[in-house]
Amino acid sequence: MDSEPLKKFLKENGATLVGVGDLTIALTREIVHLNRGIALALNRGLNRDTNEQLMRLQQLTEDWLKEKGFRSFSVPPDSDRKKSKCITRLYHLISHKTAATCSGLGWIGKNGLLINGDYGSKLSWATVLTDAPFKPDIPTVKSECGACELCVKHCPSGAVHGRLWSRDNPLREIVSYEKCISLKKKRSIFDEKPNCGLCITICPYSRNGENGHKMMR
Amino acid sequence: MSDEAKKKEILEKLRNGVIQYDEDACKEGAQEALDAGIDPNEAIFDGLVSGMEEVGRLFEAQEYFVPEILMCADALYAGLALLKPHCKAMDIGLKGAVVIGTVEGDVHDIGKNLVKMMFDVAGFTVYDLGRDVPLDQFVEEQLRTDSDLVCLSAMMTTSMVGMPKVIEKIKAKNPDVMIMIGGAPTSKELAEKFGADGYAEDASNALKEAIKMVSFLKKLRDEKAAKSK
Repeated sequence: MDSEPLKKFLKENGATLVGVGDLTIALTREIVHLNRGIALALNRGLNRDTNEQLMRLQQLTEDWLKEKGFRSFSVPPDSDRKKSKCITRLYHLISHKTAATCSGLGWIGKNGLLINGDYGSKLSWATVLTDAPFKPDIPTVKSECGACELCVKHCPSGAVHGRLWSRDNPLREIVSYEKCISLKKKRSIFDEKPNCGLCITICPYSRNGENGHKMMR
Repeated sequence: MSDEAKKKEILEKLRNGVIQYDEDACKEGAQEALDAGIDPNEAIFDGLVSGMEEVGRLFEAQEYFVPEILMCADALYAGLALLKPHCKAMDIGLKGAVVIGTVEGDVHDIGKNLVKMMFDVAGFTVYDLGRDVPLDQFVEEQLRTDSDLVCLSAMMTTSMVGMPKVIEKIKAKNPDVMIMIGGAPTSKELAEKFGADGYAEDASNALKEAIKMVSFLKKLRDEKAAKSK
């Protein structure tokens, strides 16, 4: 099944990037029947309504699929903060980063975030799983960070190890989240902004896409 | 449209809302039921629960899987939240309170939440202790709330071994309490061995058992209503 009509429809409705990936190897028994992942990305920075916009796109995707007789299951952009419903228990079974790499929209950078060749780590992501038999896009299986170590050098908590991600080695720790979180905690105690985000802003891909990275080389 | 036809349509809307996991339809249906003066208990049992019964069947037929069940549950709750404040408590000779939780060492609570849902539906007061609950807390909570039922859930064999201790302690203090155990490693034999009064194997079976229980309550209610006429 061709995914182009859906992609076109979603881009017309404001999506920055849309990819369809085969997630079979990443899914557990509960959800493996929904093995196509539609990765949705918006390039809107930390705009207040970014998440609402993403959820609107997810709803459009669900409606589009339902009309054609397919099932879907949306994992909202802020899945880690939603806890009130029954279905929220399943959100941790799939990560937006996995859906994005499987859809060929980027790799996991040294900063532990999804990096897209054109937008770096600036994108906000949401995922819709479905049983529609889409022909999947070609997955990204290795990192394109190369020798660049800007995020390693600039991380204020020293959390970035500088290791290259590859899909074959998913359990390797790329960022020490404990260090990252402890810095955020420390900052909030001292009444500063708890968020850091230096590893996003420092990344050449986030600033200038492919060209930014070439300049570094 | 006659009242009867309208009522049928609203109940159908609630039922289909649950089956198609459409939260908005369930909310709309619930509001319409209240506006039309339909007995909220009827809207719950003949609308929402009837939908959940079909969901249980679809799950058995492997047309629905765990995500669908959970979304259906959320849709049911969306309707229930509107209807429940208008319900009169059912007089079934029970106090209608239950303590429920996943035992110490276990964080798997999908099945427990489904069972909890059916208790909510049946109008029980549910004291949900959540997951990874220390064994003594079940005993304390039962004493504190004087509940008729205690439900213990575990998915892992390692955490299930704590169950007999809880059952023994509760029964020692209050022999009339009914105890249900549930989760993948449990069985009818184990339930008997542990001294429990009932058991449900996994999320789907828990749902089935809970539906059975609610259907039974419904039958009692109907019989009572028939008698009072």
